[in-house]
Amino acid sequence: MDSLIHAFGLLALDMEVSMQEEKERVLTTQNEFSQDLFQKQVKSVQENLIVRPSLSYWQDALRRFAANKQSLFAFYLTNILILFSFLGPFIWTRNPSHQDLNSPSMSPNMGKPAVVVDELAPVIPLFAEIPVISTTDETSDLVTEEKAIGSVQNFKVIGFPTTQNVVLGWDYVPGASGYVIYRNEVKPEDGALGIPLGDVMEGNQISFEDAQSLEARDYFYAIVPKDADGMETTHNTVLKVQVMTAISVDSAKSLGVSSEIGTHVRLSSSPLGTDSLGRDILARLMSGGKVSLFIGIFAAVLSIIFGIILGGIAGFFGGLVDDMVMRFTDLISGLPFLLCMILLKVILNVGPGESGITALLISLVILSWTGTARLVRGQILQLRNSEFIQAARMMGAKPGYLIVRHMLPNLIGVILVTLTFQIPSAIFTEAFLSFIGLGVASPATSWGSMCNEAIQSLLTRPYEFFAPAVVISLTVLSFNLLGDGLRDALDPKLRSNE
Amino acid sequence: MLSYILKRIFVGLITVFTIATLTFFGMHAVPGDPLLKGKVVNEVVRKNLEEKYGLDKPLFVQYGTFLTNMIKGDFGLSFTQQNRSVNDIIREHFPISAILGALAIIAAAIGGIIGGAIAAVKRNTMADRSIMLLVILFVSVPSFVFAALGQVLIAEIKTRVGVELLPVAGWGTFKHMILPSLILGLGTMAFLARLMRSSMLEVVHQDYIRTAKAKGVSSLQIFFRHQLRNAVLPVITFLGPAVAAITTGGFVAEIVFAIPGLGRYFVQAVQQLDYTVIMGLTVFYGAYLVFVVILVDVIYGFIDPRIRIAGA
Amino acid sequence: MSSLLSIRGLKVEFSTYGGTVQAVRGVDLEVHKGKTLAIVGESGCGKSVTVQSILGLIPSPPGRIVSGSALFNGTEMIGKPVNELNKIRGKHIGMIFQDPMTSLNPTMKVGDQIMETLLIHGRYSKSEARARAIKLLEDVHISEAKNRVDHYPFQFSGGMRQRVMIAMAIACEPELLIADEPTTALDVTIQSQILHLLRELQIKNKMGLVIITHDLGVVARMADNVAVMYAGQVVEHGTAEEVFYKSLHPYTLGLKQALPSPAMERSQLIPIEGAPPDLFSPPRGCGFYARCKQAMTICSDNNPREFYEGSHMGRCWLHHPQAKGVEV
Repeated sequence: MDSLIHAFGLLALDMEVSMQEEKERVLTTQNEFSQDLFQKQVKSVQENLIVRPSLSYWQDALRRFAANKQSLFAFYLTNILILFSFLGPFIWTRNPSHQDLNSPSMSPNMGKPAVVVDELAPVIPLFAEIPVISTTDETSDLVTEEKAIGSVQNFKVIGFPTTQNVVLGWDYVPGASGYVIYRNEVKPEDGALGIPLGDVMEGNQISFEDAQSLEARDYFYAIVPKDADGMETTHNTVLKVQVMTAISVDSAKSLGVSSEIGTHVRLSSSPLGTDSLGRDILARLMSGGKVSLFIGIFAAVLSIIFGIILGGIAGFFGGLVDDMVMRFTDLISGLPFLLCMILLKVILNVGPGESGITALLISLVILSWTGTARLVRGQILQLRNSEFIQAARMMGAKPGYLIVRHMLPNLIGVILVTLTFQIPSAIFTEAFLSFIGLGVASPATSWGSMCNEAIQSLLTRPYEFFAPAVVISLTVLSFNLLGDGLRDALDPKLRSNE
Repeated sequence: MLSYILKRIFVGLITVFTIATLTFFGMHAVPGDPLLKGKVVNEVVRKNLEEKYGLDKPLFVQYGTFLTNMIKGDFGLSFTQQNRSVNDIIREHFPISAILGALAIIAAAIGGIIGGAIAAVKRNTMADRSIMLLVILFVSVPSFVFAALGQVLIAEIKTRVGVELLPVAGWGTFKHMILPSLILGLGTMAFLARLMRSSMLEVVHQDYIRTAKAKGVSSLQIFFRHQLRNAVLPVITFLGPAVAAITTGGFVAEIVFAIPGLGRYFVQAVQQLDYTVIMGLTVFYGAYLVFVVILVDVIYGFIDPRIRIAGA
Repeated sequence: MSSLLSIRGLKVEFSTYGGTVQAVRGVDLEVHKGKTLAIVGESGCGKSVTVQSILGLIPSPPGRIVSGSALFNGTEMIGKPVNELNKIRGKHIGMIFQDPMTSLNPTMKVGDQIMETLLIHGRYSKSEARARAIKLLEDVHISEAKNRVDHYPFQFSGGMRQRVMIAMAIACEPELLIADEPTTALDVTIQSQILHLLRELQIKNKMGLVIITHDLGVVARMADNVAVMYAGQVVEHGTAEEVFYKSLHPYTLGLKQALPSPAMERSQLIPIEGAPPDLFSPPRGCGFYARCKQAMTICSDNNPREFYEGSHMGRCWLHHPQAKGVEV
């Protein structure tokens, strides 16, 4: 143990000695460096330069924006939505206000087969020739006859099964006193045959017309013969029938397809289904989008221009003008927004049959410029007192030149960000008002009013509601994300924080 | 402080007066005969009705009567539901809207503040990202979409599982209130969460947090004693506008969930152009919203010592 | 003289949006018991970062202590877990910051803020802590301390707030007080009062004091020892007299020439031309090379060693034996 400590002590001593030597070596070795290095240096100015690459404001903003996946995604999504609404109708040419009462409330489909039918054609029941039963037959034979009532044979469809009617036919079952027809939407199991459609009272009737609220889908018909006492037997025969949409001759003519009765045609597809008036939802989404986006973008742009002008005047002239403009701004922004939107909308919406788009636009502009005005005023006040503006002023720059050359470029970033946030909020407001029935009115449509129309049938046909609902949400979402991205990219204050 | 409150109330009164004036002249500028609306009314009845509603007098006399009645708190009679006064409608239906709104704002404030605080503390983690994703979703998706989604979901669960979690529509028990108030509060909740998060992050970078650290205060104590309190303060000021948003948002909730609140009546009145009801309810709502904002600001003033002691 | 705080080879980096900043590049410092060390240098030279990293106050991320050690009373401070640090922060080492306007919690009474330190570290009841807080306010010469203890920071002026900060920092009678530019944000008459107060308290409590400043006037008044920092390094280190009268580094000389002083009998101030180097990519050679009037060829590519004259250190090639013949 002692020796170990001793060893350590020696080692420490050793190190001390070597450090001492090192120091002495430095001090004594005269030629550690080449003597040339100890010459006074004459330097060029360039050595003072900072080496980091410098980016201009916009280059840097663009770089930041492009690096942000979320904002890029939002940028593409907004473009897609705008293209969808404005260029979409050139590709998907269905008339959004064409009411096709033959195909209301259809679920999303890719073009259903249909058959042209004559609406007025009456269906005459068919009767079978009953073989004459000899009265001389033995009673035992009769009993066996009664017991022998079998199931219905050759259960079939006569003509085309359409949503107008389905005509069923079958072979006469000897001994049957009548038949009961059932319909079910799923394959009958365990004797669950579905809704009893009708009772055929006569044994020799061998056809039946079903015209009860048929839809273009598969049905399972079942037929049960009745015995002499009118009781249903246990035999049933099931038939699967694929019912096709029926269109009238007139509709066929208007659709431009063959109007001959019995022709199979393919109805134009509705990828998103149709609404309760048979209007194609996809086409309506496009035309509604045009209105929603138009209101959103136009109202935002107008209100921002208005805000820039008023805020600019207040900030640039200051003093009494500033005071008056700002008191006015305070008053307007103190008003409850949606309440006054509704009120203004009522006042401006002259007469029924008006689409309400203009009224909405004007109301939106009147009530939503205040934020921009405050922002622009604040920025201009700040800029006005900044050194570079003072310097420009000293050098005799005129107000117009100052505004255009110095102030606007510094304001554009802020304005752009405000604009991107104003658009979704305008779209949101429009959707809100249209949804409660106080916005865009028929025949014009917007996403909000489509939701309004579809809310009644929400639980039975949710897609009618959710198609426009999803697009509104996507639009507002993508504009909001875009605004976030732009703000992050353009606001240098944020840059230092993150 | 007192002068601040008085000043705020004065400005509030001017705002309400502006709303009342705007409403009155606006509604009178709407073309069409408020009494007719398609019905054929004979001269005598018409005369009586005009007298009853004071429509035979000159516009400015009507305006004067309107204002004095408003000050007295008398909002007049409904055009469409005759012999029912606007005051009755408010008395009957406003409490329902108020309960709905109060529940929504409570849910929004609690959810928003907690959510925002968690997001800020767990900055740049999965928790933060998921909360911020929900925030942007709740801010972007209109409340009627969530309302519909909620209804469809509950109906689906009912058909699939056979359990009705909550009533899909209607009003009465507390169970009826849960879904509408939650959905009504979502947007505001998201807004407050975003605000809370950025406020928290701002506070984290403040010098006084560094001071507290240098004093040896533990992280937990710093969070509760220094950070949370200072971060919540600016969020409180936004509760006023939040009440306004939730009140008007209530129109939608009341329609979708078939709640007999005042908002539904207001929308109905606007659709039916029931002039007195529109005017009365607009002024009522206007006054209510303006003064709620003032009330919240005054309460804030009492909480924040900088305003309480130093004045605005 | 026994060492209170001893920093060796401290390196701190900040990773930022633009790259990694090497804010502190190997700093050695020594604070003795009851003595004052002044750290001098211009903004961004790493003074504050150095002292804040001792208490683990560097925001991390982006900050990161790369290497080095800081022994306080013989215990290692670098890498100490936060709950351990909290037992030292405020109790054994007090700290005052530059801006008294923002360094106090605006929504908390000053008394409560002082009491917070006491209640964490000492065995005080609430009322005892309150009495002690009032006493501390009196010690930092705040009149009517009994009333003021219930006031909020915004009811105090800048100088008064700095006094409150000092009261908070010395509440537990720490062995070391770090004052990070304590007078920069104050006006001149108040500056003098605050310095006087610090001096008074230092003597009374026998504290070690680290005072960070870019004001040589403060240094002359307060310091026993001086460390001059430039571009993340200590370029000169010695007693105040040595550094002032026998400066070993051209940067120190430059600072002195830029100081208005009747004693120096100069009619004109001589500024140091240029700006400090970019610490995103610090120069290989001497950090001061680009601005140095006495620069030699060796300076551009070789970082100078520490050269000693007794305990007086200068980090400059001019003191290399081979540079003896070079005209200055």
